[in-house]
Amino acid sequence: MTPFVWLCKRETLRVSKLWTQTVLAPVVSSILFILVFGLSLGGRIKGVGGLDYEVFIVPGLITMAMVQAAYANNASTIFQARFDRYVNDVLSAPMPSWQMTVGYTIGGVFRAVAIGASLLVLALVLVSVPVERPFALAAAVALGLALFSSLGLVVGIYADTWDFTTFISNIVILPLVFVGGVFYSVDVLPSPWEELSHFNPLFYLVNAVRFGFLGTSDVSVWLSLGVTAALAIPACVWAQYLFRSGRRLKA
Amino acid sequence: MYRDVPALELRGLTKRYDESILALEDFDLRIPAGSFFGLLGPNGAGKTTLISAVCNLIRVTAGEIRVFGEPHDSMEARRSVGLAEQDINLDRFLTVRETLTYHGGYFGMDEPHERADELIAAFGLEAKRDVRAPRLSGGQRRRLLLARALMHHPRLVILDEPTAGVDFELRQDLWRYIRRLHEDGTTILLTTHYLEEAEELCDEIALIRDGHLVARDSADGLRAHFGVERLQDVYVKAMAG
Repeated sequence: MTPFVWLCKRETLRVSKLWTQTVLAPVVSSILFILVFGLSLGGRIKGVGGLDYEVFIVPGLITMAMVQAAYANNASTIFQARFDRYVNDVLSAPMPSWQMTVGYTIGGVFRAVAIGASLLVLALVLVSVPVERPFALAAAVALGLALFSSLGLVVGIYADTWDFTTFISNIVILPLVFVGGVFYSVDVLPSPWEELSHFNPLFYLVNAVRFGFLGTSDVSVWLSLGVTAALAIPACVWAQYLFRSGRRLKA
Repeated sequence: MYRDVPALELRGLTKRYDESILALEDFDLRIPAGSFFGLLGPNGAGKTTLISAVCNLIRVTAGEIRVFGEPHDSMEARRSVGLAEQDINLDRFLTVRETLTYHGGYFGMDEPHERADELIAAFGLEAKRDVRAPRLSGGQRRRLLLARALMHHPRLVILDEPTAGVDFELRQDLWRYIRRLHEDGTTILLTTHYLEEAEELCDEIALIRDGHLVARDSADGLRAHFGVERLQDVYVKAMAG
């Protein structure tokens, strides 16, 4: 297992060395959302489902910060390694392909958990957010991170330019998370927007995490976890296929 | 004992890139254990493709590759090979010492720190041990690349144009180190454009053109075979076809 452990260490070291960019910056921007939308404007907004607005938005904001970090970290680490060709050091090593896949995934998971844990502590201090269903929360976070860490790897392996990795983040992931009910309950949307929201896969992840924190969500937690798992499994398999076959990694 | 088994054996190795470029075709090669083997050929002859195939860096179209008798993609074979690539491909986030220790870790070393320090001293990189790769000079990067290839005590060291673009002093230093390595029993596969380098270092030289092996022998043997006095003339004749 030694090669695998060293790859995991390398991926977490990269996050630690760049901690102001990788952890501090997303924590600060998420806290600003809580301060501006929650504490400042939240007083003018009626609570959602019996919850104070500043408490209601915390799970969605944590989800948004974590999935973006998991994606961005892994897309950039593998793209950079391909671009500078130091990925060859790993590809030639005595390491089974699944260890390469998991090793490269770990960086995104580590970064996302560092951000999520920091935000949780700050949210507890600022708005006393509860954690009603810790096991559901853990399951939702694990599936969400598996999905977005793997997606980051896949995009980073296919990308020909740096812009492509950020394009997916800014044009696909961020809008889907925003309209996935981070700032509102989809129940308040008029038809057909409420129905359309159910086709947004990020809606289920946000709701699964919200259920873990607050004990309530717009849809069944089992449906939310099921949809997230149904996306996470193919993403993990796709990433593993790329490392196993060498497609896009080896000429 | 393992000297009975060739360090590297290629049988029918073929590599066709996606753009349909045929880089190697039905290529056979056997490199004895303990030898210092040179691979010469012009740009695009297939030298780097051959090396990349051995090191699992490209997908082989057809053929078989064995390293000390083991399939090249087996864990045992991977552990046996150290590669210094032609282009500088150092991890930009790691310092000199981290570059070596992490490489050692990837290749299965439990305690790579001592070996890393040994190589840092051997390659004169003590003053740069905590400096990240992008801040090193060209010569220092080249040294680090070679040190990284040797980190895990490979039995077969593959050097892809290790002295390309380096100054005379560094080239002499690298030659000295590579020679010592060979004297210690390590098999060396060297590709180079410098004919005097191949003649100076290698026991045997293979000439490769358009993905095919043109000739292989000692420098003297090649001269005799082609009926010329200088290795340069051998090269010109062989490449002219």
